[in-house]
Amino acid sequence: MRRTNLHRVIAAAILGVFVIATASGCAQTSKDKPFSPKLDTNADTSLTVYGNYSNFEALESEFERFNEHYPNVNLSYIYLDGYNDTIANSLLSSEAPDIYCTFNWMWGNPDCADIFESAADLSAPETGIDFSCVRDGVIRKTDNGEILMAPVLATSFGMLVNTDLFEKEGLKVPKTWSEFEMACEKLKAAGYASPVMGYVSSESGSLEYNFAYPSLCNSAVSNPAMRDSFNELDPSAGELMRPSLEKLKELADDGDIDIEKCENEIEDNYNAAIMRFFEGDVPMLVCSGDVASGTKKRESQSESFSASPFEYRFYVVPFDEKGGFVIDTVAMNFSVNKNSPNLDMAMEFMRFLISNSELGNMASVKRLITTTKDFSLDSMYSSLSDTPKDRMICSTEANINDNAVKQFRYAAHHVLVGDMTVDEAIASYGNLEE
Amino acid sequence: MKRGLTIFVNIVIIACIIFFISVYTSQKRDESNHHELVVFQNTAETAGQVITNYLADEQHLCDIWANYINNYASSSGEPMTIEEAIEFTRRASISDEVAANIVYYDDGSFKGLSSEPSLKDADDYSVSYKGFSLFKDFSEDDLNKEIRQTAAFANPQNGVPSMAFLNTVTLQGENPGETREALLMRIIPISEISRKLVYLKGEYEDVDLAIIDGDGEYMVHGNQLKNANLFEYYKSYNDTDYQSQQAFEDEVTGDTGLIEITDSKGQSAVVAHTPATSDKDWFLINIIPKSSLIPDVVDWVLLGGTIGALAALLIFNMVVMMLYNRRLAVAAEEAEKANAAKSHFLSMMSHDIRTPMNAITGFNEMISRESHDPEILRYSEGIRMADDTLLGLINDILDFSKLEAGKLDIIPAEYDLVLILSDLVNMIRVRAEEKKLSLKIDIDKDIPRMLYGDELRIKQCAINLLSNAVKYTAEGTVTFTVGYEPSAEDNNKILLKISVADTGSGIKQEDIENLFVAFKRLEEKKNRNIEGTGLGINITQSLLSMMGSSLQVESEYGKGSVFSFVVKQEVRGTEKVGDYEEAFRAAMESKGRYVQSFTAPDAKILVVDDTPLNLSVFTSLLKATEVSIDTAESGREAMRLCTEQVYDVIFLDHMMPDLDGIQTLHELKALSENKNPDTPIICLTANAISGMREMFLSEGFTDYLAKPIEFASLEQMLLKYIPEEKITVGAVTQREDQPLPGAILTIPELDTDAGMSHCGNVSSYLDTLQIYSAGSEKTAEEIRSLWKEHDLKNLTVKLHALKSTSGVIGASDVRDLAADLEKAGNEGSLGERGDDLERLLSSYTALAEKLTPLFTTEGKEESLPLIQAEALQQVYANLLQACEEFDYDTIVSAVEELAQYRIPDDEKERVDAICRASDDLDYDVIPELIKEGRREGQDE
Repeated sequence: MRRTNLHRVIAAAILGVFVIATASGCAQTSKDKPFSPKLDTNADTSLTVYGNYSNFEALESEFERFNEHYPNVNLSYIYLDGYNDTIANSLLSSEAPDIYCTFNWMWGNPDCADIFESAADLSAPETGIDFSCVRDGVIRKTDNGEILMAPVLATSFGMLVNTDLFEKEGLKVPKTWSEFEMACEKLKAAGYASPVMGYVSSESGSLEYNFAYPSLCNSAVSNPAMRDSFNELDPSAGELMRPSLEKLKELADDGDIDIEKCENEIEDNYNAAIMRFFEGDVPMLVCSGDVASGTKKRESQSESFSASPFEYRFYVVPFDEKGGFVIDTVAMNFSVNKNSPNLDMAMEFMRFLISNSELGNMASVKRLITTTKDFSLDSMYSSLSDTPKDRMICSTEANINDNAVKQFRYAAHHVLVGDMTVDEAIASYGNLEE
Repeated sequence: MKRGLTIFVNIVIIACIIFFISVYTSQKRDESNHHELVVFQNTAETAGQVITNYLADEQHLCDIWANYINNYASSSGEPMTIEEAIEFTRRASISDEVAANIVYYDDGSFKGLSSEPSLKDADDYSVSYKGFSLFKDFSEDDLNKEIRQTAAFANPQNGVPSMAFLNTVTLQGENPGETREALLMRIIPISEISRKLVYLKGEYEDVDLAIIDGDGEYMVHGNQLKNANLFEYYKSYNDTDYQSQQAFEDEVTGDTGLIEITDSKGQSAVVAHTPATSDKDWFLINIIPKSSLIPDVVDWVLLGGTIGALAALLIFNMVVMMLYNRRLAVAAEEAEKANAAKSHFLSMMSHDIRTPMNAITGFNEMISRESHDPEILRYSEGIRMADDTLLGLINDILDFSKLEAGKLDIIPAEYDLVLILSDLVNMIRVRAEEKKLSLKIDIDKDIPRMLYGDELRIKQCAINLLSNAVKYTAEGTVTFTVGYEPSAEDNNKILLKISVADTGSGIKQEDIENLFVAFKRLEEKKNRNIEGTGLGINITQSLLSMMGSSLQVESEYGKGSVFSFVVKQEVRGTEKVGDYEEAFRAAMESKGRYVQSFTAPDAKILVVDDTPLNLSVFTSLLKATEVSIDTAESGREAMRLCTEQVYDVIFLDHMMPDLDGIQTLHELKALSENKNPDTPIICLTANAISGMREMFLSEGFTDYLAKPIEFASLEQMLLKYIPEEKITVGAVTQREDQPLPGAILTIPELDTDAGMSHCGNVSSYLDTLQIYSAGSEKTAEEIRSLWKEHDLKNLTVKLHALKSTSGVIGASDVRDLAADLEKAGNEGSLGERGDDLERLLSSYTALAEKLTPLFTTEGKEESLPLIQAEALQQVYANLLQACEEFDYDTIVSAVEELAQYRIPDDEKERVDAICRASDDLDYDVIPELIKEGRREGQDE
């Protein structure tokens, strides 16, 4: 309990900075020391980064910035289809990457143990990497205090709101659950068959997950003991899901979402979801920050949006009369292959990257949230700054492991599509299948 | 050429060279660029063909595998199991890099077996593409192509980025008789494909390769190409709209071609695209920065080097020019200094020569007037001739100086040709006669008489030629020919032709050019006895050139020469020269001994000169004209006199201490009490250097008279400026001279012969000595005062005057000392010569002290020589005659003569009475006193 309280304090402090920085509306200037190369700047070597982003311009912009110091270092990012299933083998292959992407869900997952077997300790003094600029809450450490993955991009959960549509319908963006319900009623009355839309699936990034996970985190933070059992997939701990699942059930029962429409019209949780949102008739698209980050680039790809552009923002989905929960979670980490023949240069790149300015730059290009203490939000996320402190939760504080999350995703999906009642889903916890 | 213009021309030339190089290299660059692009496209096309062939080969191998597996059933009766099929691929594969996967697609699981185990588990050959997007949109229809390959993916067994060639196989199902549909995947690492194109990378170091599908999705891509899709990449970094984006996509997915885009670094890049499959569903993209593809064939090193070299050349030239200019400037400065020194020297020489020559000419004039002794007159004539020669030499040098300085102007005016011819003939006639040469005059009687031109310069040219002819002809004839012909261009002008032929020594052909070289005298050894500066022909040629003419020379060595010139002159009037003989005779008749031409007793003139000696010469020269002369030794004294008297003419010396002539003139003009505001003021100067005349006239002088003063010029000047009514034309009487007092002869510091030669007669000499001694105390005091005040400028002027006056009286030691100190003054070192100055003053004072008693009445009688009775009677006789003839000058002279002797006591009272009568201008009493004495003598 004491540990949980401590985590809450830390998280509150971090998010306090978050709020203050955002509320002040001014981007804080970087307090970094200027990067000073440690290695021979004429070094002629290559670094390869493997990841699952098919498009990673944000990282590529960092390559170019790094090349200002090391002009002869050839950096490349390679997208691996089937990344999650193959990165462990890639690390063992003759074409192993020097740096590779890791995710929070991998942390503590026995299936991913091999991935971290190859990861170098980024906190080792000889690396010179200074993590003091990174929010403590987003850093995962081993029991030995090693840092095997550096958080480089943060995200959150919520919904994209077509604010022009709301304005056109004379509505305000809902901040409480009752306002949410009322807005949905009015929208339905106005002819919007599914005021809420999203990628309906049991996969990560689905509407169900993005809608319900924040409240699950709240439950986990509120009841750490049950959370621990929850992580152990103890069926009795399925109760931890109840508030989230009931709210999801309410959403479906109230007809605020047309599930069939969503399944038919949104084929994936990224490109299809965004393009559908840009059709202009979706009042609210439940998604993660990762999806929101892809909107800008796709504005021009949408003929509808190009023809009739509109304003949109990222908001927290209300959970109760106090509003919703903002989850501060990591979207992507970088690990360094300790077996890399270019380990020194890979570490040098990480030393370069882990700074207020570079992580801030990468988040800005990616339109995600930086993992540093010194950050300001993209205007798209400005609404998050209105969130009360007690509604901000760091994902590490919730500390729900990947297997538990999967069970929750399955439960949420079954409840939403009506395969299971809330009670059935809770009762089946630990044994739920996709 | 001025420096600025030189630099400009250099820069223009450099700019032209650079322009040419730029245009030429630009043309070459365009050609080279085009060539490079063609080569790149061809190379890309070749690479595309390599890829196409490779993909086709790999697909073919995949198809062989699939055929074998599928045909197995027909040979063995039932299809292969998945394990048998995988085992077959293991056996069939000859490359470790190639793997095979067989995955079921009939149930959408895409799970199956791999020919290779998982790197994580050596016993695990199972494979699943569940988490891959690879088969997300799989359709069997996709396999109806010639080549059926996947996009890049991570090989699940080893995580290596790979691609696969596909075919379908039918396998045995789990249950008997059941078959399963599966995909056979021949998996090749992407790096293998890259290796196929390694030669392309070798050809173009910065090229990046990608294989895209028809939607722009990268199947394979390198480091430079960002994004996940080429079309998205293009949109991200290029300013596009729908049409241009579409055009790009159509272009890239079309046939082989080139397209220029902006890459992610914002630099221009060239994309060569070519289909990588015969179905045109994949395309090979070769992208390279344009700067890498198209080397800068503008050889900037060459261009820069050329520009640098040209600039360096320009700078070098400028520096060299600057150095040369500096040297030239130094040389020019030195030349200017030398020229200035020369001018100064000429000025000084002119002044210094003309000053004593003034005395020589003046007193010689007096000798010729007053002496009746033929021998003396012959000497006097000798002096005059030497004087003329000397003046001629000086004038030549001065003219040359003027020509060099560009200050000699041609001043045209109307003139009478007869007068010129008369002067010329008169002049040359004398000289020819002296050398016993025959002079032939051939003058065309029809030449217009009144012409318009610079008569002085024409006359000067003719004189030079005539003089030379006489000089260089030992015997024979000098022929002076003057003719004319009408000007073809202008009816109002004639070409005046003047020619001088002689039967002299002639000139060698090779020496004719040297005739025109200044100071060059031909055959100097042979002609050493002939006077001349070597400037005459040079001056003549220069003058003729200024008049638009040139000197023609025809000569035969040993036989004689003909010098001629033709000048264009404007005709004024219709009168002809006519019978020149008449004019010549008239001239001959007018020639004779000089006789005073006029008297002007009512005229009053003022002469201002700081040198009393010069005043003495001046008054002596004009004594016979009876002109009333006031003298002043300074500008201030002159100004005072001008407020008291009205003068007909004022002669004002230029160089005077304190106020010089010009300052005096200005102050006189500004003086309100001046009674002579309109009186002509003539400048007297020994500085006859070029430009002086113009300077004096511009300063306000009415006219200018050079020293030494020629009496004729002075007379002309007076006739010109004294009102006609005050002039009476007629000759005046001459008077005899008297012996020099013995006391003067005993003074060792005095060279009385020199003094006498300077002053002309005893009277003038004594007057001069008296003036010298009388002013000595004042002069010495002034010199001391100027020295004390360190006024070296005025001190130098004073020393000049002292030198001049001392020279005139024959005090050569004092003169030399003063000259030495004056020179020091001009050189700026006078301030260091205090001891010498004191020595000068000591000598000067000592001489003055010896002279002063001779001219002092009080207490000097005892030292004077006793006049002999006969001499006294002679003086009395002279006085009686002078009184009868009203020759007051003689009376005064006689009285002054008496003052030089000690008078016997019995006559002393009478002499004193005569002197008083003379002083009181009571000349009637003098005869009475003399006659009274004679009567008393007879009584005794």
